[in-house]
Amino acid sequence: MNWKKINYILHRDIGLLCIGLTLLYAISGVVVNHISHDFNPSYKIEKITSQVSPAPKGAVPDMVMVKSVLTELEEYGKFKNVAFISPDNIRIFVEGNTIDYFLSSGTVVQEKVQKRPFLYELNYLHLNKPKKSWTYAADIYAILLGFLAISGLLMIRKKTIKRGVILTAIGFIIPIGYIIFLL
Amino acid sequence: MKKFIYIFTFVFLCSTAMATTIHLGEKLTLTKVTKISEINAHPKKYLGKRVLIEGTVIEVCAARGCWVDIASDLPFQKILVKVIDGVIVFPMTAKGRTALVEGIVEVIHLNLRETVEYSQHQAEKRGKKFYPTSVKEPMKLYRIKGLGAVIK
Repeated sequence: MNWKKINYILHRDIGLLCIGLTLLYAISGVVVNHISHDFNPSYKIEKITSQVSPAPKGAVPDMVMVKSVLTELEEYGKFKNVAFISPDNIRIFVEGNTIDYFLSSGTVVQEKVQKRPFLYELNYLHLNKPKKSWTYAADIYAILLGFLAISGLLMIRKKTIKRGVILTAIGFIIPIGYIIFLL
Repeated sequence: MKKFIYIFTFVFLCSTAMATTIHLGEKLTLTKVTKISEINAHPKKYLGKRVLIEGTVIEVCAARGCWVDIASDLPFQKILVKVIDGVIVFPMTAKGRTALVEGIVEVIHLNLRETVEYSQHQAEKRGKKFYPTSVKEPMKLYRIKGLGAVIK
């Protein structure tokens, strides 16, 4: 068996092995590219402003007040904690919901957080949050991608060498151009 | 083979379900907790020093999970913990949970424009009016460069 045949078999088999991870990184890569203060790729964050009864003047925040706010909001999620943000603002933490209650006005700002199904899991792996063994898995995948690039290059046939060289050059020119003009 | 897959899946799901405590970044090396109110009162004393703080997570960076606000032991006070992007990613679910954070106290010197922007953002968050002309001097922002954390 000559080296071209071996290269072809390895390119094909490693390529097949990488399909799953490539799709994972591709899908997650697109959403992670668009991270901003208004878009979290892993969580759906919804802000809702509403009104409940203001606290009586001079009232000191306590659990009765917290329960009253939660009841008015019909929020029955698991209570986690409460924090005093300012003399006029308490923050109530419920599972999946953070509630800012402004005592004097009765204004309530809710921040409801939900994991984005599927994307949360993809981003979890793409951003290497598990660390440990996943770091090695991702490293091996990166090396395999490098192999696919080089073995792909070696698969250019004489008949299509011009096209191969042009496409490969474009692949290099795009990032190099960005670095030169933007950095 | 099938049996192995079932066992692996079961163990994986159980470990995920039981993982209530989240460990992030480096392992904690300090045991003595420094009060946040103490750091806020005497920031220069702690500048450059490694400290361990404890408090409720009251805010998490919604974009990258690269910072958290930890409530102080005194009401209406907090401290900002900033971590290197990607090294530690605080989950949004950390909000309302108690965190132990180890890190180094550092200072950020804001220029006048940054001070105005920071003050404006803080006022907006509190629903208060803000007058940019009220800012006369650039401010210093003391925060903790987070190295490791445990979310309970």
